[in-house]
Amino acid sequence: MRSWNNRAWLGVLPVVLVVAFSAVIPLMTVVNYSVQDIFDLSNRLFVGFDWYRETLRDPRFLAALGRQLLFSALVLGIEIPLGILVARSLPRRGAAAGAWLVVIAVPLLIPWNVVGTIWQMFARPDIGLLGAGLSALGFDFNFTADPVDAWVVLLLMDVWHWTSLVALLAYAGLAAIPEAYYQAAELDAARRWQVFRHVELPGLKPVLLIAGLLRLMDSLMIYTEPFVLTGGGPGNSTTFLSQHLTTMAVGQFDLGPAAAFSVLYFLVILLLCWLFYTSVMREDDPQDGPRER
Amino acid sequence: MAEVRLLSVSHRYPGTDADTLRQLDLTIEAGEAHALLGGSGAGKTTLVNLLSGLLVPSAGNLTFDDRDVTRLAPRDRDVAQVFQFPVLYQSMTVADILAFPLRNRGWRRAAARERAADIAERLDLAALLGTRAAALTLFQKQLVAIGRALVRPDIALVLLDEPLTAVEPATKWQLRRVIKAIQRELGATMVYVTHDQTEALTFADRISVMHDGAILQTGTPEALYDKPDHEHVAHFIGSPGMNLLGAEVADGTFRLGGRVLGPAGDLGAGPCTVGFRPEWAVLERAGGDHGVATVTGTRILGVELHRPVGIVTADLDGQLLRTRQVIDVAVGDRVLLRPDADRLLGFRNGRRLTAGAERAGA
Repeated sequence: MRSWNNRAWLGVLPVVLVVAFSAVIPLMTVVNYSVQDIFDLSNRLFVGFDWYRETLRDPRFLAALGRQLLFSALVLGIEIPLGILVARSLPRRGAAAGAWLVVIAVPLLIPWNVVGTIWQMFARPDIGLLGAGLSALGFDFNFTADPVDAWVVLLLMDVWHWTSLVALLAYAGLAAIPEAYYQAAELDAARRWQVFRHVELPGLKPVLLIAGLLRLMDSLMIYTEPFVLTGGGPGNSTTFLSQHLTTMAVGQFDLGPAAAFSVLYFLVILLLCWLFYTSVMREDDPQDGPRER
Repeated sequence: MAEVRLLSVSHRYPGTDADTLRQLDLTIEAGEAHALLGGSGAGKTTLVNLLSGLLVPSAGNLTFDDRDVTRLAPRDRDVAQVFQFPVLYQSMTVADILAFPLRNRGWRRAAARERAADIAERLDLAALLGTRAAALTLFQKQLVAIGRALVRPDIALVLLDEPLTAVEPATKWQLRRVIKAIQRELGATMVYVTHDQTEALTFADRISVMHDGAILQTGTPEALYDKPDHEHVAHFIGSPGMNLLGAEVADGTFRLGGRVLGPAGDLGAGPCTVGFRPEWAVLERAGGDHGVATVTGTRILGVELHRPVGIVTADLDGQLLRTRQVIDVAVGDRVLLRPDADRLLGFRNGRRLTAGAERAGA
């Protein structure tokens, strides 16, 4: 007979408590709000999934979701390839390598609202270097009035802010590929793109997965920079999910719909990250790059 | 398969003030299995990189079949290499990896596939042709790497840089046998780099012993064992290495502590180092006070004819001495040294004395 010592459960109690207070209880509070109509502290009404139904039919939610997906797709589509390109062009060793890494890392050290402010000024059509410069060159550029211009500035800003992260991760990934792989490819008379496709890309896969996940999650949650840069406008053209949510929850105090919105928002992020992860991992099952020996 | 020739090749890495390789001259016959044997820092890897073209020598020339390849890019040399750990394209299947060097050199898909399948057959990899490299065991991966190195029929030279390092000991001998068999079968010119003398001695037709950027001796395993040209080679080859004792030549005999060990031919008189393999001598218990050495240790390695055999270590006037013999002596015994007198080798200034050279030098 095996004897069981149930006192061992006490060992996991601290973790359970921390997770409960930090994650489960707040989340459940939100879930609780999302199924009630709240008038004040004592006046509340159970409404079931009404708020969810309403949110999913709300054209403003659907529009914000659509913009959000487009934004994240564009951000990933630009930043991942660009980050790899930057990482590949950096020197591998020597004093120059260190200097470049510091320069590359600078945007990551700037607070988000400062990034937004920098670009807000940079892109201003009246005094901003970019905005005024483009106007002077004859372009009809005004990001406060034209949705396309606003999107361009927003994307430029995000690429400027976050490509560094992808580049640094990719740089570390490239540095971890043993020199022998390049030597073997050279002896096999592999062409440049073959070296990239068969040596560098498989070696980069683990870090690119992390970079992709981080950028996907972060871009889905983006709030501060567009809030500072465009305030969600012109119109609602740069209003993404988080900003729409804030307007509802803080601005209009619609706690029930905001809670339902939050749960849906959370599920969307979870689903997209899971889709991203599985689609990358599925390609070859015994996952390992050249670093494995 | 090409004859590989090094003509006074030297190499110095930029920023250093000493040559890593010094004036190497070496000819490797077409179809020869050649081993580069030496400790770390001997210059083996530098030499391999010169052969593959990753480095260009600072002086000297390198030819494959009289074609000067000294400055040719690696991809234009028709050289293949197997590395210390399996270097494969992880996302490709075994079939694609084996066909890769052929396809890059203009082979048609069908012909490349056929050749790849043929090589896989010889290496017992046929069943794995459709498997991705990432799913293979370490042993299989290294086997595929060897297959890729051998797949081109027009390959001039195959370099194996300590190819068994990453393979577990249990499968080492198996892989070594596969490499040796396929080398014989295909007649490939191979250079096998190792610091393990057993690997070198069992694999190679000829071995070059490297030390401190120079090739001390090139020869068959037997030559290196029986007639090492250099004290370092004598000591490095064999387990344990050759006994090297301070002695002298007088009246045409080797003398050790005043006692005659054996004939020295016509070597010139004077101090020298006398060398003999542990199995070329026997330590015998001495009666009375005739003993010249004291037994300091015995190590049994096996049993032959119901008697323990192994290594006997003894101290002879402060010099360490080992013999491989029947262990019929015990620690503390006073013993006589009875060498196989005809096999004694003399060394001076680290080099083996030969009767002719000695006469010419005198």
